[in-house]
Amino acid sequence: MTSEHQEKETVLSRRDFLATSAFLTATVAGFGIIAGFFRFFKSDVRYEEPSVFKIGKPENFPVGTARKLDDKKVFVFSDDGGFYAISCVCTHLGCIVHTSDNGFTCPCHGSKYNTAGKVISGPAPRSLPWFEITQDVDGSLVVNAGSEVPSGTKVKYS
Amino acid sequence: MYSRFYLSVLLMSGLVLVTYLVLTAYDGVMPEWKHYQIEYKELLIKNAKDDATRTRAQSMQSGLRQTYLAGLKREDRCVNCHLGVDNPMMADAKLPFKKHSGNYLANHPVDKFGCTVCHDGQGSATTLESAHGKGHGAHWDRPVLPLEYVQSSCAQCHDFDMLSKNGGAKVAGGETLFNEKGCRGCHKVNGRGGSLGKTLDKVGSEPIAYFSMKHVIGDHTVYNWLKRHFEDPQNIMRNSEMKVSLKGSDSALLTMFAMTLRSDEMPKQYRDMKYTPEVKLNGESLYKRYCIACHEDGTRSLYNEIFNRTIPAIRNPAFLKAADDKTLETIIKEGRKSTQMTSWKTVASGVSDEDVKNIIGYLSEKRPAEKYEPFPIPMSQGEPNNGKNIFETHCSVCHGKDGRGGEDRLGVSLRSPVVQKMVNPEFLAATIRDGRSGTPMPPFGKDAIGLGDKDIADVVAYVRAFPK
Repeated sequence: MTSEHQEKETVLSRRDFLATSAFLTATVAGFGIIAGFFRFFKSDVRYEEPSVFKIGKPENFPVGTARKLDDKKVFVFSDDGGFYAISCVCTHLGCIVHTSDNGFTCPCHGSKYNTAGKVISGPAPRSLPWFEITQDVDGSLVVNAGSEVPSGTKVKYS
Repeated sequence: MYSRFYLSVLLMSGLVLVTYLVLTAYDGVMPEWKHYQIEYKELLIKNAKDDATRTRAQSMQSGLRQTYLAGLKREDRCVNCHLGVDNPMMADAKLPFKKHSGNYLANHPVDKFGCTVCHDGQGSATTLESAHGKGHGAHWDRPVLPLEYVQSSCAQCHDFDMLSKNGGAKVAGGETLFNEKGCRGCHKVNGRGGSLGKTLDKVGSEPIAYFSMKHVIGDHTVYNWLKRHFEDPQNIMRNSEMKVSLKGSDSALLTMFAMTLRSDEMPKQYRDMKYTPEVKLNGESLYKRYCIACHEDGTRSLYNEIFNRTIPAIRNPAFLKAADDKTLETIIKEGRKSTQMTSWKTVASGVSDEDVKNIIGYLSEKRPAEKYEPFPIPMSQGEPNNGKNIFETHCSVCHGKDGRGGEDRLGVSLRSPVVQKMVNPEFLAATIRDGRSGTPMPPFGKDAIGLGDKDIADVVAYVRAFPK
């Protein structure tokens, strides 16, 4: 009785240690479960068309190229400044625009964009977005349609 | 205060839970494919020839990848581990980083075709075991095809004609083998063929559970079953009536062809088939396709141990003397009841009347011009009672006491419609007298065994009097 009493005063008693550690692990485990629960809201991949796609080797896009990739809905250009990709989805109602004499024209409601994708006339509310172009480890160019870059951003790769 | 017991239970369960969570978290952060991606990145950095490539390699992000193929209704995640599949730098790397062999990817880019459309396996899986789908635990009916059978996938979109010239020689060879071994004699493909065996139209995409794997050595997969089955059918299915025993490469070729017979069809935009009008085959090719499996070259009669009966020599001149074209046509089209000769008319076998005619033309090539030597006494004089005695002495050894032939007997059935109705009785008598060359039927005439013309007429009368 006496010794137990003394122990309690000097250091943490065995009973207290047990209680503290038990509640501590329970709390940690609880937080772990909650964290794991939230992890399930984020998916690694989705069942949809990828927004990042390879378009081929830089040498397939010599200076002066203007190519429309129909299935990816993007224009890819190459000029002295480098490569750049512009969306071909009209910002008005989502029709596919086509190149015209001095820029792009939407066939549905006549929106006109200049060569940089800026709206000149028509109902389109915003300019055509420019997409990021990077280079993959095997040297292919990669367009990331999920990441917009400021208009006029051109990148050089070889 | 709480009791020591409850606190201990709480501490223990807490510790177990924390350990479990840590392991789960590790698995979440470092899944199987991530180890491969890290290794691939190191390999890239090591192999980089110039600074630009090295910088690109260093900036490689690891993460779950997939090839999304809306048109094919697939998501192939094979590229998580097979990272260098279209990277020319990886031509000599080890698996799984190795570049795809050959020039196939030039016409079949990964982002349009994916991987599983040719190689099978479970595209959406992210671990090696479930992606390759092999073994009992994988529960996947289309395990990854071994290299020797990959060409079977080409036939989903390409015709054999094109494949035989452009790198699909093996699968085209399998098709030739299929036609030349006479598989269609028993099996239907595309509605054409015999009806003794199973229809083969979907065999390549049938679930594994449809096959009896009990006696299959090696992987329990459909292709392995097929290969072992072609080598020795009775070893896999005890009561199989299939008569084939192929060796190594032939059985692999035929397996390859069988794997092309799938029920699922590729979307139209992927197919590159020439639907040429069917080539008219000559009699010999048709004979090979439909008849050769049982009748072989048709010049000798054969005792078949599985059918337990003698298969007639249908290209034997002596046989052809008996059977004119009309008789042959009736036999082919109606089949022979209670034998393995099934009906080959169009509704039953899908073989057109014209093809049957061509086959008959091929059969009767060797028909002798002259008919048999006429028999001196009219058949109507035969006495069945005397014939019965002679029959039991001389004929029943091979043809059976009741004349049915069949099991374990050399002779053919004498109760078949041919013997009973179609053939002229005089011809039967001539056959008994002169025997039939190329078959075990010996001559019984005066010069040979010593039956007189009258005795022979009696036997014929007895035979023709069998109850129908």
